[in-house]
Amino acid sequence: MLTLREKRARRIAIAFIVPALLFFLLLNAFPLGQVLWDSFQLKNLLNKAENGFAGLANYAEVVKAEYFMTALKNTVIWTVLSVAGEYALGLVSAIALNQNVIGRTIFRGIIIIPWVVPIVIAGMTWTWMLTPDYGILNIWMVKLGIIDQPYYWLGELNTALLTVVFVNIWRSFPFFTISLLAGLQSVSRDMIEAAAIDGAGVRRRFWHIVLPQLKTVSLTIIFIHIIWTAVNFDFIWVMTEGGPLHSSETLPIMIYRYAMQEYNFGQASALASMMLGFMVAGFVLYYFYATRKNRG
Amino acid sequence: MKMAKWSMVLISSMMLASALSACGNGNNETSSSSTNETSGTNASATEPAAAEEAVTLKFWSALDPSSDQGKTIQQKVKEFDDSHDKINIDLQVISYDVLHDKLVAAINAGDAPDISWGLGEWFGEFNKLDALADLTDAFNAWPEKDKIYPNVLEAMQVDGKLKALPNYLGIRALLYHEELLKQGGLTEPPKTWDELLNAAQSFKEKTGKEIFGIAGAGVRSPQELIMYLAQNDVVLAEKQADGKFKNTWLDNPDQLAKAAEVFRFYQDLVAKNAVKADARTWGWEEEDQNFVLGQYAMVVNGTWIEGRASENPEGMKDVKIAQPIYGGKPATFMEIAPLFIYKSKHPEETFELATFLMGADYQKAVNPSSAPRTDVVSEGWGKQFMALAEQGIAYPAVSLGGITKAMEDSLALALLKKEKPEDVATQLSDAINDSLKKNGELSGS
Repeated sequence: MLTLREKRARRIAIAFIVPALLFFLLLNAFPLGQVLWDSFQLKNLLNKAENGFAGLANYAEVVKAEYFMTALKNTVIWTVLSVAGEYALGLVSAIALNQNVIGRTIFRGIIIIPWVVPIVIAGMTWTWMLTPDYGILNIWMVKLGIIDQPYYWLGELNTALLTVVFVNIWRSFPFFTISLLAGLQSVSRDMIEAAAIDGAGVRRRFWHIVLPQLKTVSLTIIFIHIIWTAVNFDFIWVMTEGGPLHSSETLPIMIYRYAMQEYNFGQASALASMMLGFMVAGFVLYYFYATRKNRG
Repeated sequence: MKMAKWSMVLISSMMLASALSACGNGNNETSSSSTNETSGTNASATEPAAAEEAVTLKFWSALDPSSDQGKTIQQKVKEFDDSHDKINIDLQVISYDVLHDKLVAAINAGDAPDISWGLGEWFGEFNKLDALADLTDAFNAWPEKDKIYPNVLEAMQVDGKLKALPNYLGIRALLYHEELLKQGGLTEPPKTWDELLNAAQSFKEKTGKEIFGIAGAGVRSPQELIMYLAQNDVVLAEKQADGKFKNTWLDNPDQLAKAAEVFRFYQDLVAKNAVKADARTWGWEEEDQNFVLGQYAMVVNGTWIEGRASENPEGMKDVKIAQPIYGGKPATFMEIAPLFIYKSKHPEETFELATFLMGADYQKAVNPSSAPRTDVVSEGWGKQFMALAEQGIAYPAVSLGGITKAMEDSLALALLKKEKPEDVATQLSDAINDSLKKNGELSGS
């Protein structure tokens, strides 16, 4: 039996929760449900004669699409390379900024700049810098003898995706730097000193003391970035629009094409649902793996 | 305590209500005033009696507010607003990059503007979305209807009904750097594909630059491709007896061969160093910028290049205009930027605004070199471009989203993957018919 005071506290709590709950239902749950529902419907805005229940036809059409496997492979490459690069660069820069060097406060401030540049601005600026005829990077690389002649990094089938990955790493690694730097600062200096006294070298101290203590923050930012990167649309769209010839097209670009260029919201929803399924499956598998490992 | 509790509930409710109100339909049928910072339009706020009956027309424009043209448009729209007590104009500036997606979203939400700018590529789609008003009767009653180019009007019609009006024209002509051509040993530009290809290597050796430029990717690449196809007497999709469309290349070996010739021409341009290798994936930005900088000699382009002369005034001094280099017969792409008039609650007022925007006074001020009117042709560039209006071809009035993407892909297959021209033409034909079928526009489907 709740006391009067507890009942009042509960009512106040509900009053605070209701707006958030309504927002969630209206802005998250309803659209998500609608996407799942639409994925089983024939819904082409340009061909309203065809409508009704589609079963798995939308899913089948999407999987059969000429460039589906390319987009799936590109999504994996884009996500894995981006997050791996961001983590590696973020870790190195965080360790560097954790040292007692002159002006490290200034460096800590400067390093966040790429992260605060809007994606569209960053994408357009890099596109400009990478242009073969008047882009500054090509000019530098030719002068330094790295390449013989200017190269169209974003215009060739084999380099377009990797170039966008590189730019994405440049923009996103500061988030890793800041997060890992915070983690590094919480590592006990006493423990490191004790290990040093016991004869542990720099590498041993890093692998066996520092890195394990960064595990929680590392997993958190890696998971967040896997999601953010896999669903990223704007960076690729601004720099290549998925081209040339779909060589940098990922699943979100493909969803956009279905929805906003072909107006086929049934197939767009099917692909979006599949992508959601891939992500959920990946995280569930990791959860079971981690749980089993912990039990072991 | 009770007061505190009610205050919290009230604040929560207000926050929720204010947030949700942003999602609501902002379409006011009547408005006592219309202020718009972007447009600078401030309508009859001082005349409450008249304003009570005034209607507000939502007008979405992709004007560039930093350009002289954009400022002139804003001023002209304000003049219209000020001179019409019962019509207020809510002018919103939305760049072309996002205008299409915003219009699609608005149309599907039942909240389309009354009138908007747009691109010709969207015409078939918006018509299929059943968003466009039938303007046939209103236009026929307009005294100045005969001043609009007939082939422009024809491109705005579906099944004999006028479904859009022309805003401005983007006729393409051959632009060339005269001095650069002379350096390459040419006193005048080549007229045919063969002449161009034959002159390319020698030009490159003499000047170190390429003779020609193309856009191999992006929105302009299908516009150039459809022009070259038309020059070889090939069309993307033909209207059939049942009123629907079909690409007939695979039914007609002669057409397929002609389409393949176009892709072979593209491949030859690269093989014979007529274009830079990078041009295989240039978009319109690279094509325009490199021409303005004099990195190559000739390009098929629009009047807007004239406005880029300030970036390289010395290098642009020698730019001259000619008919596009052709294959079988002269033809050029005519981009007709439409004024889309949606199924509005205020058709008469909207059409009145539309006729103002197509009027001689507005067109002289805003589009002197690209007006859709026969009586507005500026001297110099405008006159030379408009001389090509009669050979202008436009996209067929079908949904183009899948088709233009397929055209872009076909160029990539020919130029990047170097596939056989016949195979590329076959794949494009299939892709066009697939797209038509998906949208219920394929003949016999």
